[in-house]
Amino acid sequence: MSLIAGNTFLEAVRQRLFLFLVVVAAALVGGAQFFQSFDFGPDLGAASLKFLLDFGQGALVFFGSALTITATAQLFFSEIENRTALTLLAKPVWRAEFVLGKFLGVWAVVGVFCTLLTGLLVGLLWLRTGALLAANPGTFLHGGRILLGEVVIVCVLQWLKFGVLAMMTLLIASFSNTNLFSVVMGFFVLVICHLQHIAHHSYAKLTSLPLRLLVETFARLFPDFQLFNLAEQLGKPSGLDATLALRAGAYAFVYIVVFGLLAVFSFRRREI
Amino acid sequence: MSHDAATAPSAAIELRGVTKDFPVGLRGLKLRAVDNLTLDVPAGQVFGLLGPNGSGKSTTIKIILGLLEPTIGECRVVGVPSAQVESRRNVGYLPEAPYFYRYLSGAELVRFYARVCGVPRARLDTRVREVLDWVGLTGAAARRVGTYSKGMLQRVGLAQALVHDPRLVILDEPTAGVDPAGSADISQMILRLKSEGRTVLITSHLLAQIEDVCDRIAILDRGKLILEGAVAELVGRRDRQALIVESLPPAELDELRAWLAARGRALESIEQPRARLDEIFLREVARAEQEARP
Ligand SMILES: Nc1ncnc2c1ncn2[C@@H]1O[C@H](COP(=O)(O)OP(=O)(O)O)[C@@H](O)[C@H]1O
Ligand SMILES: [Mg+2]
Repeated sequence: MSLIAGNTFLEAVRQRLFLFLVVVAAALVGGAQFFQSFDFGPDLGAASLKFLLDFGQGALVFFGSALTITATAQLFFSEIENRTALTLLAKPVWRAEFVLGKFLGVWAVVGVFCTLLTGLLVGLLWLRTGALLAANPGTFLHGGRILLGEVVIVCVLQWLKFGVLAMMTLLIASFSNTNLFSVVMGFFVLVICHLQHIAHHSYAKLTSLPLRLLVETFARLFPDFQLFNLAEQLGKPSGLDATLALRAGAYAFVYIVVFGLLAVFSFRRREI
Repeated sequence: MSHDAATAPSAAIELRGVTKDFPVGLRGLKLRAVDNLTLDVPAGQVFGLLGPNGSGKSTTIKIILGLLEPTIGECRVVGVPSAQVESRRNVGYLPEAPYFYRYLSGAELVRFYARVCGVPRARLDTRVREVLDWVGLTGAAARRVGTYSKGMLQRVGLAQALVHDPRLVILDEPTAGVDPAGSADISQMILRLKSEGRTVLITSHLLAQIEDVCDRIAILDRGKLILEGAVAELVGRRDRQALIVESLPPAELDELRAWLAARGRALESIEQPRARLDEIFLREVARAEQEARP
């Protein structure tokens, strides 16, 4: 299984699949540095940090999601379409090993991407904080300082979320016939998961109990991706809520396991 | 690379009433790719599965390997049902028109499959080198598989099939698209596999190519088994012999007829033996290579 994962990772690296995304996202974060120089006056130091954080998080969420979905579908279907899956599964390899190997390989690729971007973001924030303090030692007297450790935690949560997304895409890929269909469905699911939060409020108002239960169970199938978005809390006096972060981690874990089991089950019946 | 033949069960592969339907179209139409196939592949022999394109050879092989589930019937490999992963532990498979991870080198590829098959780490390097040597790819081992020619792909495919020293080797159309010299090499390798005590199952739509190496054959047509038996029994005509001599002038030919008639026999036919084109090809290629050498 770790072999398949390693091979998947290697394929992504040698295909330079994510090099492009890394470059684009890095350019965006770098661009943030450039923009803030005229968007904010020096007295609004804390706000410029917040802007930088939001910009970096945005790049991570957007490009990370795109990378996760396309890389999962691409790396899965390259095995099926090139019929290398045929050779591999003719070896004493469990179907489950194949699915989990693919998942871990993709997750590692996304992990590298997240690490790079997080490192870049933390570096920029650190430089900016230093510059602000040098210009005006009293910048953060009224709060607004962003703890870099918390930035890392927030980015790790995003990575966990991408794990859920990768497993969902893999589940879709395990029964669909084409790469394109999987990618489109993957993005569709992504949107649903981001809208979950809004939906939560509306179906809580449903009066008929059976209907509400029905809608709610259906809704539970899709994880609520808004739960992973804790960047809002950074820079506030209260800081990051550790219980919320831990709960989001456990939430991701549960969904990865559940979708993983479904994907294995669905892939077991697939004809190669 | 040899095995103890005494422990082998008599049949390496048993197919019992295997039928495979593929759904085609939206209206639930079915295409019967394999139709009620019952077949035993004896251990230690070279078994040829023949038939025209689309007759269900590859489908049968995928069922044997557990890649497809039969609609009806069952299949066992060395007594273990195909659906179990365990049944593939001692099987090497070269797929039809193989295609491998283009981004790996030949050696990396074989090494990857060796590790997937659980070859112990300590023996990994020697084993990879051994098997690449065996298929004659040592010189190209460091090149990316994406740059390989068709014949080299078949060889690296054979290497990955053999890397874990399997008892049963399944080759799907190993000679398709390979030049005569390459397919003669593959024939040689198949015979070598047999001499090492392995069972070999090969498929082909070119009958002549595998006639030379097979012990037994089965012929499929539209998924149905139409003929099965030992090659020697099927093609041999024990009551006839062919003599090949230098061309005789008509007078001597008449003498020969008279000699035969005196013994109560007749000369049935006189033919000009023709060299097979692939033999000419092989001879000329060998000569050209000899001349090219210093
Ligand atoms: N996955 C599939 N879906 C639908 N039909 C298939 C599939 N695989 C094979 N077939 C059909 O099954 C028949 C047998 O195919 P195959 O076993 O590949 O033949 P062969 O290897 O003898 O050339 C063909 O008519 C082919 O079109
Ligand atoms: Mg075929």
